[in-house]
Amino acid sequence: MSSIAPAMRHVRGFDVVRPLSIGMLIFMMLPLVFLPLASIFIFGTSNGLDKFWSALMQPEAVFALKLSMATSFWATVFNVIFGLFAAYVLSRYNFWGRNALIVTISLPTAIPTAVAGFALLLLWGPYGTLGRLLSPHGVQVMFTAGAIILANIFVTFPLAFGVIKPVFDTMSRSLEEASATIGATRWQTFWHVTLPSLRGAIVSGALLTFARAVGEFGSTILVSGNLAGRTQTAPLYIFAKFNEGQIEAANAIAIVLALFSFLIFSVLFFARDWLDVD
Amino acid sequence: MVKAKETLIPRHEEPATASQPPHPAAASVVGISKRFGKVGVLENISFDVAEGEVLVLLGASGSGKTTILRIIAGLEMPYTGKVILHGKDVTELPARERGVGVIFQSYALFPKMTVEKNIGYGLRIRKHKRKEIKKTVNELLSLVQLEEHRKKYPSQLSGGQQQRVAIARTLAYKPEVLLFDEPFGALDTQTRVHLRREIRALLKKVNVPAIFITHDQEEALELGDRVAVLNVGHVEQIGTPFEIYNHPATEYVATFLGAANILDAVVRKDFIEVGPAKIPATLDRESFREGDCVKIVFRPEDVSLNRGDFLRPGHHRLSSALIEEITFVGAYERLRLRLEADEECKTDDTSFLLTTETPDRKPTKSIIATRPKPEASTTRLQVGERVVVALTSFTVLPTKSTNMTNHQGTKAQI
Repeated sequence: MSSIAPAMRHVRGFDVVRPLSIGMLIFMMLPLVFLPLASIFIFGTSNGLDKFWSALMQPEAVFALKLSMATSFWATVFNVIFGLFAAYVLSRYNFWGRNALIVTISLPTAIPTAVAGFALLLLWGPYGTLGRLLSPHGVQVMFTAGAIILANIFVTFPLAFGVIKPVFDTMSRSLEEASATIGATRWQTFWHVTLPSLRGAIVSGALLTFARAVGEFGSTILVSGNLAGRTQTAPLYIFAKFNEGQIEAANAIAIVLALFSFLIFSVLFFARDWLDVD
Repeated sequence: MVKAKETLIPRHEEPATASQPPHPAAASVVGISKRFGKVGVLENISFDVAEGEVLVLLGASGSGKTTILRIIAGLEMPYTGKVILHGKDVTELPARERGVGVIFQSYALFPKMTVEKNIGYGLRIRKHKRKEIKKTVNELLSLVQLEEHRKKYPSQLSGGQQQRVAIARTLAYKPEVLLFDEPFGALDTQTRVHLRREIRALLKKVNVPAIFITHDQEEALELGDRVAVLNVGHVEQIGTPFEIYNHPATEYVATFLGAANILDAVVRKDFIEVGPAKIPATLDRESFREGDCVKIVFRPEDVSLNRGDFLRPGHHRLSSALIEEITFVGAYERLRLRLEADEECKTDDTSFLLTTETPDRKPTKSIIATRPKPEASTTRLQVGERVVVALTSFTVLPTKSTNMTNHQGTKAQI
């Protein structure tokens, strides 16, 4: 091997390893990522764009997309604010149990989403620990849009925090100290000095959270009730239509979701310079 | 500090400022001590800074100088003691209510604000009118000569420019005192020398009292109107650069501020006995009694080397010595000499031990002398040559065994 490798490396000044390794990478990704994605698009548009369009414009489909966007939006808002707060507390203060908190915040990424949904049902469901106390007052949390938001919050909990905390950790304390000696209150310092430095982390944390929340299925199907036109999100719609054998209807939404995530990750990747601008 | 008679040796005239600044003090630190957990880092630190004065806190790392600065700024609470700014006790006030300007070592400019925004920040958070802010910012931009960089971000500026922005940013809100935390630490030697002259000139122009901290003795001597030498949490000496360099109060000060030769000596009636040599000196009788063991400190440039026994007036024979090493160091020549107790000088029962201590505190019998270029080139000396060592000036320090109430060195004129 070692006697062949140096000979392979350069053939008349041409690096063979380079095109070989790039080709191999793409070849490996082909059946794993590219072809599944491509087949959505090929299938979805094979009957013509107008078929695709009418499948997309079904009131239930439009509702499912809107519901997904709305619930994901509110979950994102909550988790970014929470992530910011948690990152601030956990990187500024050292206290007993701090590491335990960090681990707990990170936990939801490792828990199967079905378990997350199940856990929420056990807490908020009509016979759950909290739900039992609320239902006599006519407050129903599960099987509503609120439940979907709760599920989204749970499964995307550590994402924004995970992006923001490292930035907090590396941020120089002297910036905040300088602001204080200049005469700023804590709030002014946070608003004028700390927050602008976190802009990039906040935007990318929000995009990650949103992308993840829009695609959430496992927990949503348990807590939402999956009622078409009421609590059915886009991924649930795809699943339902697929089960009913309406592959075109499922596929139309699938295309939208796939394009949507592609867009978000493109922004994350190509706007990197802007997000990290100093 | 007790002054002996000015005799024999013409010295540069001594600057008028003595250890006490002209009152009223713009900023005072009174009896500050500080502990981190059980470790004491500062003990009973007191000093004043006068209006428009530059005080340098000079100390090695771990001497507590940064902690003093942070206590004055309000970023750290003292364990005991007070911080007084323009007559007002601010010890209990948070940093933002003190109105001090801190120039951090890293400058701590706000990375997402332009130069203009950085400078105007103090006024913006004080809710000044837009017009007023603009006017002040313009004035400061021209003061620190950064008009053409006003729209730039800190990352687009050089270290020196960033530092000027940091200074302008604090001057905007008319600080009670400016605190510089090792301001030249991150710069190369050339820029550093250039900048400290520039900043000293700027400070004299704006007439704001300033406290610098540094570990660089050259920087301290050049920047400070007065210098406070710190050693593991206490002040060893405060004085003008002239005083602390030429009349160090303690061995630490002597060795920390450049090279110093230290020899054991004994106080006699009208002279100091250094080994076999008797050097006439007028000493303060209250601090020193006959028979006291003392140390004499002299700088390498206080040593004069002679081929023969003929000495110029004011030069006092110490001993003969063998040249061990000659090093060329640019502006001057540095010689290492081994002192010899010459036989014919042995007179009485004193031990003729010439124990000397070099700055790294290893006892040797060598001393260091320097000769300026003109002298080095007219009288060439060779390694191995025997010369007569004479002193032109020295300071007498009490040793620990000396019965002393005030722990101060006494200057001896010879």
